[in-house]
Amino acid sequence: MHIMEGFLSPQWCIIWWIIALPCVIFGIYRLKQITSADREALPLLGVTGGFIFLLSSLKVPTPFGSTTHPTGTGLSAICFGPWVTSIVCIIVLLFQALFLAHGGLSTLGANTVSMGIIGPLVGYTIYRLLKNTSVGIYTTVFLVTAFADLSTYVVTSFQLALGAVHPVTGDVVSSFIWYLGVFALTQIPIAIAEGIVLALIFKYIIQLKPDILIRLKIFSEETINAAKREADGP
Amino acid sequence: MRQRGKLMARNYNLEILAVIAIAALCILFLYTSITTKNAGFVGTDDIAAAKISGSSGNSSEQIQPLIPQWVPPSAEIESTLFGLQAAIGGMLIGGVFGYWIGQKKKV
Repeated sequence: MHIMEGFLSPQWCIIWWIIALPCVIFGIYRLKQITSADREALPLLGVTGGFIFLLSSLKVPTPFGSTTHPTGTGLSAICFGPWVTSIVCIIVLLFQALFLAHGGLSTLGANTVSMGIIGPLVGYTIYRLLKNTSVGIYTTVFLVTAFADLSTYVVTSFQLALGAVHPVTGDVVSSFIWYLGVFALTQIPIAIAEGIVLALIFKYIIQLKPDILIRLKIFSEETINAAKREADGP
Repeated sequence: MRQRGKLMARNYNLEILAVIAIAALCILFLYTSITTKNAGFVGTDDIAAAKISGSSGNSSEQIQPLIPQWVPPSAEIESTLFGLQAAIGGMLIGGVFGYWIGQKKKV
């Protein structure tokens, strides 16, 4: 769920824009660095960005009467980090704000922070924590993508609780709990499914283009080769 | 025969898990659509906005956009544009996977 145009007070819209803009600008700088060092990173960016476009357009009704969608940001967070992911997210969110009236231009900063920055940042932190441990590569991808998705909705709930023009309850904490119940709780099954599907996609990337994952130092050569052997079977 | 044997020995655990997850999500989707009043394949923000407006005691009309925005004139046009977004993603994914498969076959 993206925060709709007019739902946040003007001061909160400005605050979220001020947080989002430097991250996106740094993302552009990081992307230039990555692609000038290795042009083969561009197709990988195409795949990870493609999943953000594809998955964020799938709407699923929830038992609470709202609808929701996966975010697809986990793969990009693993391969390129949260700052580059924020560029793809702001493009998707701008498309939805301009042509679908989903989200809005004033709330674009807030939506970029939740879906493009903090969600991927949570995922990226999990990836960095698990990267050099005995946890399997596919379990890592599953956890990263599921938590990147789920945390996006937790942040959206927080943003609404902090700065909604018409608060649902009197105080921030109870509003946050109310929003969590409506938006984050319903996201759990979708986050799990997204985690499994993107782990499968990562398996195909390993089978088709393991060298780019090694060159970008996403996982070590031994880990990638072990995962490839595991996927190929005995 | 050797190729077939190799194919049979491949590990398909993730594929099976993914099919189960998607099937479970589809069942949840259908169950929700049947049991929830007025649930339909409509915009995320539309229902969420109505829910927030209802809880805060304000109708959707009372919440005015800060920056005027274009709204799709019908649900069909909205669905078409969502389809376009999905198509852009699908083209990117399909294009790159095709490129990689082509590269692998050349080697």
